[in-house]
Parts: sequence; C-alpha cells; structure tokens
Amino acid sequence: MSEIFQTITSSPMFGVSLCIVTFAAGVALNKKLRSPIVNPLLIAIGLTIALLEVFHIPLENFDEGGDFISMFLGPATAALALSIYRQLELLRKNFLPILLGCLAGCVTSMGSVFLLCRLFGLDDALTASLLPKSVTTPIAMEISEQAGGIVPITVAMVVITGILGAVAAPLLIRVFRVKNPIAAGVGLGAASHAVGTSKALELGEVQGAMSGISLSISGILTVLISLFLPR
Amino acid sequence: MQIIVQIGIFFLICLAGEFLSALLPIPVPGSILAMLLLFVCLLLKWIRPEHIEKKSDFLLGNMAFFFIPAGVGIVEQLPLLLVNLGPLAVICVVTTVLTFAASSGTVRLVLWLQNRKGGGSDE
Repeated sequence: MSEIFQTITSSPMFGVSLCIVTFAAGVALNKKLRSPIVNPLLIAIGLTIALLEVFHIPLENFDEGGDFISMFLGPATAALALSIYRQLELLRKNFLPILLGCLAGCVTSMGSVFLLCRLFGLDDALTASLLPKSVTTPIAMEISEQAGGIVPITVAMVVITGILGAVAAPLLIRVFRVKNPIAAGVGLGAASHAVGTSKALELGEVQGAMSGISLSISGILTVLISLFLPR
Repeated sequence: MQIIVQIGIFFLICLAGEFLSALLPIPVPGSILAMLLLFVCLLLKWIRPEHIEKKSDFLLGNMAFFFIPAGVGIVEQLPLLLVNLGPLAVICVVTTVLTFAASSGTVRLVLWLQNRKGGGSDE
C-alpha cells in the first residue's frame, strides 16, 4: 500500500493536481466570502502544506510537479512585457513619477529592513537574506547569494512579503487614500513584486501594468544599489 | 497549433534571457532580461501583440497560481523562521507598509508637482 502511495505521490501529476485542487478551493472560498484576507494563493499554500504534513508526503515528491509549475514563473514574468506595452502611452507620460516612485520604494525597503534587522540584533547572514525581500524571487535570490545571505530564507521572506502585500493591497490603498491607479500599481509592484502584481492585475489593467513596470524597474534598481553594498 | 507557437515564442525569449544573463557581468535574472527583450521586440514590431496574446493572457491571468510551489517551499525553512518569528513578522509588515507608502506617495507627489508646473491638468 505504502509503495503505491509513494509511486503516486512522486509522479509529477501529483504536485500539479494538488496545486490545481487547492488553488480552485482558494478561488471558490474567495468568491464566497469576498474578503481580501481570504487570498486564493494563501489558501492554496496553506492547504497544500497541511495535506503534505497530514499524509506525511515528502516535499521532494511534491516538487516533482511543483518544479514544473515554477518553470512558468519565468515566462509569466516575461509576459508582463505585453501588459506594459499595452500601457505604453501611460508609461511615456508618467515616466518620471514612476521611476522616482520605484527608487523611493527600493531605498525605503532596503533601508528599513537594514535598520530593523540591526534593531532586533539579527546577524549579518540573516540581514543579507532579508535585504532584497521586496523584489521578485529570481532577483532577490541572486542579491542574497552575492551578499552572503541564506537563499531559502530569502525565498521564504520574498513569498511572505508578496502574499502580505497582495492580501493587504485593498486595505493599504484605502488607508493611504491612493485613488490614482498609477500610484497604487507602482506602490504594489515596489512593495510586493510579482505576487502584488497578480493582485494589481485583479484591481485593473492600469494597476496591473504599472505594478509590472514597477516590479521590473525596482528589481533592476535594487540590483544596482546592492552592487554598492559593503560585503 | 497557434497556442503551441505562442508557447514556443515565450520559451525561446526566456532562453535568450538566460543566455544574456550568463553573459552580463552583473547579476540580472534571465526572466527580467526576457521581459525587456520581449518589450523591445514589441516596440520594434518584430513581435505583434496578437502573436503572443493568448499565452500571455493565460500567464498574466493566472499569475498567483505559479507561486504556489515556491510558497510551499517555506515549509523547509520553518525551524529557522520560527526561532526569529517575532522580529521577522514585524520586519515584514512594517517594511512592506513603509515601501508601499513611500513609492505610491512619491508617485503622487511627483505627479502633483508636474501638474502644478505644467499649469495643472487632471490628476
């Protein structure tokens, strides 16, 4: 019995199916409860982890299918080019505000992470792992590795930051009274990269495109800033 | 067939991005370079939106889904995360709020300044 179980769970189909089922459950719950806290991604991750734990399924088995899904993160990032292209006029007209907004976001993110890490007395390796946490996973991993960080911690914090930004987006927009869709999009992209962008796309085409522009400009700016970090 | 061609365009551009990333002396991820490449191709009209529309709308419309495995991977770092749970939670929340406020605030400020200087159109 356990051998059959092992065979089934280590098939790539298992990880993919599990993600689809839990994500579908997340989307259904989100539609029913209509609350931003009930984020489909958050539910899917929670449910998947819970199921793996309950049935003692090793992460390696899940990753057979998980890696297949992760492979699409690259093309998904590239696809943002089309949403930016569709908003080309808006980008041309607002280039300076967007660029400065991204710069302010990067500096604030890295600066506040650094100060808080010092305040809590976290060690250098942990600090280096947290510094790039507001930018998209592939960039953050590179920066963390270069700066002597612990890459899996960076990935975890990047994902948590992204989910947090996406979940809190409607609240943040209300609290800071960001009525302008450009400002909302740039803010979401700068604070919570591609996961925030997935939420911005749900808020509207302009927000989504701006968030996509912002996550790419912020990513590149963060790479440039981190070149000047002492190591 | 159409969708296979579109998937092919995406994978080829991503491969080109990986290639460029390996050539560049600074660490810029292949996916970001692929996005820039695709953007340039669109600007130069080498690729038209209708060539890649179906695949990109599929990718963009389901973006959150592709992050599930990365999120599930957190489970492996749980011990280290739990030891520092308090500080990490505070850092995550505070810096995310600050970053959002700083960047969206700057966009609004610059737009406002530009409008004032330019004689004021709509915000």
